[in-house]
Formats: sequence, C-alpha cells, structure tokens
Amino acid sequence: MVDPANPPSRRAPLRWAVGGAVPWLLLAAGQLVWIGFDKRMPWLHISIAVLTLLGAATSLAVVPLWRYRVHRWELGPQAVYTRTGWLIQERRIAPISRVQTVDTYRGPLDRLFGLANVTVTTASSAGAVHIVALDVAVADHLVAQLTDIAAIGAEDAT
Amino acid sequence: MTGARSGQQEIGWQRLSPRMLLVHPVHELLRQLPLLIGGVVLGSTTGNQYWTVAVLALTAVVGAARWFTTSYRIDADPESGQVQLRVGLLHRKVLSVPRNRIRSVQTDARLLHRLLGLAVIRVSTGQEAKSEHGSGVFELDAVRVEQVPRLRAILLAGSPQPVAAATAGPTAPGGVLARWQPSWLRYAPLSLSGLLTIAAAGGVVYESGVVGPLQHSRLAESGLNAVQRLGVTSAVAVIAAAVLVASVVLAVLRSLLTYGNLVLLRRADVLHLRHGLLRLRERTYDMSRLRGGTLRQPLLVRAFGGGRLDAVMTGVHGAGESSVLLPPCPVSTAESVLTELVGDPDVVTGPLRGHGRRAAARRWTRALGAPVLAGVALAVATGISVVPVWLWPAWVAVTAWCALLAADRVGALGHRVDGRWLVMRAGSLERRRDCLATAGIIGWTVRQSPLQRRAGVATLVAATAAGTKRYPLIDVPENEMWAVAAQASPWVADSMWAIR
Repeated sequence: MVDPANPPSRRAPLRWAVGGAVPWLLLAAGQLVWIGFDKRMPWLHISIAVLTLLGAATSLAVVPLWRYRVHRWELGPQAVYTRTGWLIQERRIAPISRVQTVDTYRGPLDRLFGLANVTVTTASSAGAVHIVALDVAVADHLVAQLTDIAAIGAEDAT
Repeated sequence: MTGARSGQQEIGWQRLSPRMLLVHPVHELLRQLPLLIGGVVLGSTTGNQYWTVAVLALTAVVGAARWFTTSYRIDADPESGQVQLRVGLLHRKVLSVPRNRIRSVQTDARLLHRLLGLAVIRVSTGQEAKSEHGSGVFELDAVRVEQVPRLRAILLAGSPQPVAAATAGPTAPGGVLARWQPSWLRYAPLSLSGLLTIAAAGGVVYESGVVGPLQHSRLAESGLNAVQRLGVTSAVAVIAAAVLVASVVLAVLRSLLTYGNLVLLRRADVLHLRHGLLRLRERTYDMSRLRGGTLRQPLLVRAFGGGRLDAVMTGVHGAGESSVLLPPCPVSTAESVLTELVGDPDVVTGPLRGHGRRAAARRWTRALGAPVLAGVALAVATGISVVPVWLWPAWVAVTAWCALLAADRVGALGHRVDGRWLVMRAGSLERRRDCLATAGIIGWTVRQSPLQRRAGVATLVAATAAGTKRYPLIDVPENEMWAVAAQASPWVADSMWAIR
C-alpha cells in the first residue's frame, strides 16, 4: 500500500506544541510553588527541574515535528485512509459505503489556530477514522465530499 | 401533525402481565433490604411496630406502582415502526427502538418468574449502547410465557435480511446442533467460578459484621485450639484442601444449574439457544447477523481436550454471557457446531499460516526477558552476599514455565484468509481461534510500535460491528499485512493506494 498523500495543516505542529506544553507548564508552576515553600533537598529540585525541561523540550519540539512527518490522510473514491501517531504509528482504512456519521470537532486550541478535526465513524467502535488538525476550509470540503459519496442512511452498514 | 401523533401514541399502549403485581413487591423488598432493616430497627427501638409495617407497605406499594407505570407498544409497520417502552415512577422515560434495528430477542426467567409462568423479554439492536436515551436496556419485564413466541416473531419480523449473508453455507437444514451432556461437567472445576463464589461469599459475610461477635465465640476458640494442636503448616493445608473441594463442588453445581438442559437449535435461519435449570434463559439469533464464531480454550480446559464457543454476532456483546453458544465442552463438539454454522470445515480445523521467524523471536524475548534479567540479578546477588538456596530452583522452574508458554504461543500464532473467512489464532493461557466473515469487516488498522517497526512486523486489526468489534492479528510480517487485508476485503485490493 502506498501511503496517503495529504499532510495536515501547516499550523498543526504549532497547535500540537501548544497543546503539549500545557501539562508541563502546570508541572513547572507546581515546582516553583514547592521551591517557594521548601528549600531543603536542592538535588531533588534540580533533578525534577531537569526532567521537566527534558519532557517539555520533547513535547514542544520533537513530538510535533515527528507527528507532522507521520500524519497523512487521503480520501479515495471507495475508502478513506489515514496514517497517524509518532512513536506508535497507525494506518487505518475504512470503506466509505459503511460510513455511519461524519463529525467535525473544534476545541479551543483548534479554533485559536483555525483548525478542525474530522471523525468518520462506522458501525464498529474499533473502526472510526480520525483526521486531525486540518485547515477549516479543507475540513469543510472533506466533510461535504464524504457525505456526498457516502449517501449515509442508505443501508444500515453493519 | 403533533396532535395526530400524540393521539396516535395513546393507541396501542399495553401493560405487562398483571402477575407482575406479585413479583414486583418481592423484588422491591429485596432491592430495598437496607431500608427494611432500618425500618425493623426503628420499629424495635421505638417499640412501635407500625414503623416496620409502614416501611413494608411503602416498599410493596412502590413495587406495585412499577406495574401501573410501565407500558409498551409495538407499531404495526415493521419497516418504519418503533417499539416503545414507557417506564419510571418519578422520572418518566420512553425508550424507543426502531423495529428494523432489532437484531436479537432474548428471554430470561428467574425462579419467581418461572413459578408464575412469566418471562422477561430483552430486545437488542445492532447499535452501540450510546443512544441519546442513555444506556437503557430495552426490557419487557415481564410477559406471560405463552405470549413469548408470538412477541418474538413480531419483534424479529422487522429485521431486514442483508444481501451479504455470508453464513448461508451449503448446510441449511435445521435441527439440534448440540445438547448438554453430563460429561461436560468435568470442565466445570477448571474455571475459577467456584473460587470466586467462595471469595464473594466470604466478602459478604465479613461485610455483614457477623465476624466481630464470632471472634470470641466458642466456635472460634475451638478452631484456634485445633490449629495449635495441628501446627500452622498442616492447618493451612487442611484449610486449603477444604477451600479447593468446596470450590470444585460449587463450580460443578453452578455449571449444572446454569447449563444443564442446554439445547442449541437451528431452525432455517434462526439460531435458538436455551439453558438453565432454575433460571431459564432463551436466546434467538438471526443467522444473517452471524459473522462467525470464536473457539476459546483456556489452558486448563485445553489440557483436558475442551473448548468453549462464542458467537460473533452484530447486536450482541462479544464478551461475556450474552454471546456464549456452548460452555466448556469437548472440543470436537464445539468444532462440529462451529463448522455447521460456518459451512466450511477448513475454516474451523484447517491448517494456519504461521507468522514467521521474527514473530516467534518476539514471543521468546517477551517471555524470557524478565526471567533472564532476574537470573542476572540473582547471579550478581550471589557474588555479593548470601542468597537463600531455594531461590535457584524456583528461578529454574519459573524460567522453564515461561519457555513452555513462549513455545506454546509461537505454535498458536497463525492466520488463514480467503475471500469469505478470516481465521486468526493466538494465545496460550487463553487461546482463541476467531473465525470472522470477511463481509462483516468494515475497517483495517495497521499498528506498529518502534520495536515492531525494527522487527518488520505489525499488528493488523480487523474492525467489525460484531462480537468484540476489534479482532487483532499480532505480529504479521510487514510484506504480508496488506495482502491479508486485500484478500479479505475487495475494497482494499481495489483502492487507489494498492500497489499493482
């Protein structure tokens, strides 16, 4: 199988970096408060700070770029095909004739960066195809295309 | 429109069997046991037994009210009509199921229901339990047993027959597929159900606070004296033996009560299962919804030549009791029944294609990684300080066990695929052979961890609406994985990404 052709939006790595930074920032804030109250055991503070920095650097720089290199999607005349993940990678293909619903989701961060996620569900809970971090225009076009081809509701698709 | 609709809705609402007026109060009393105990305690402490009577009466009235507030209706039109159920005393709720979505109808009769000639009808659909009504189970609790065949026929009449009836093999005749044999009981002690029952009973006794007063009673004291006389080791052995015997007896008894008199029937395109000596359960499955079967062989059951059979069916949960076709029974019985359902003996017993050297190597490293590390640690520890001598034989035993497990897992791993069936086998402690109709596969996932990418293998997951929804095939070589998917699903082979 050839890999699917289309990458996500150019702004996707930025969105992933911001999303990935939030938990590390919270952790760092917690540490600052801790240092403010308790200055014993400097070696512990330093080692935890180093770990936090490493984790933040990974999720800010490495993961988004890696993800951007992996993530691909494409809509064919019969099927929709995606490649996702970074460390653990998944390729998923589902036939459009068995599609049950097409959902768009935009979280606060997605809206900040003008992105949208499309989820294509089938009758199997193990078969939903997620296409994440698309430009809004691309996502809208994709949804229109999908609903056009799928003729949802024609059969019960189980 | 709305007026006509609401007027129409009032027509055809039926109540359940009035005999439930007897059942509901009893069930309500059992359900509200804590409240009742509270009532009795209040009555005896205040010296006013009216409290007890009041609580009793209130619970009984609430139970009876359930009958008055529950009603159901079945639309006449099997295509666009609905089956509706109105329930709730304070929170009114209407559950609606489109008639053409009904996939299976089950009946269930507990002891009290059976004594009164009643049965609960449970309707399930092909959808996930995520409807906007919440996870309400559609249950008619209860109707007269005489009405069940008629209702079942009505409810299943709306279910459409899909074009891709992959299971309509050359064998279409009906008849009894399997009947329970007393010899099946020999597999009952091999499950953990007896031990679990004892543990649950122990938990209930401990929770109920009976233990506290018993601690200083003569019974406990004589027990402690006996332990002192026997010595701790033999006392533990005696207790363990007693628990073991009790668990075997309980497991056999439970198996007998649940599955004794089991009959699996096939009438044209309907599969009919009934079992239960005290609590009678009946299931009817639409054969056109059958997407295959799973032969499950837990290690102990397999060692005694047994196996159990689960149905892979849309609209039925893949795991647990609702999908059981056969409890642990001789594996030849399970295989012949599955062959009957599938229509192709090669699918059930035919040879499988192994996953090759690298998949085998991964099984070995997974099983032996931890023991080898432990062995190294043990050797280092022996060099530094004194280590109990018995640790070494224990380590050898654990390592040997892990090696046997790995060998068994390597032997089990395999698949078989043609245009109609995908067969996958894996596992040792819980070996399973899944036979899945390719027509029911509605998605493929190829999943690779970094280690799998290095080894050049992948986990191939077939997604379907039936059974456990997710059927993984572990560690397929990279160059075969899409070939398997393409052979099973023409829409993969014909897709624009396939390399031709």
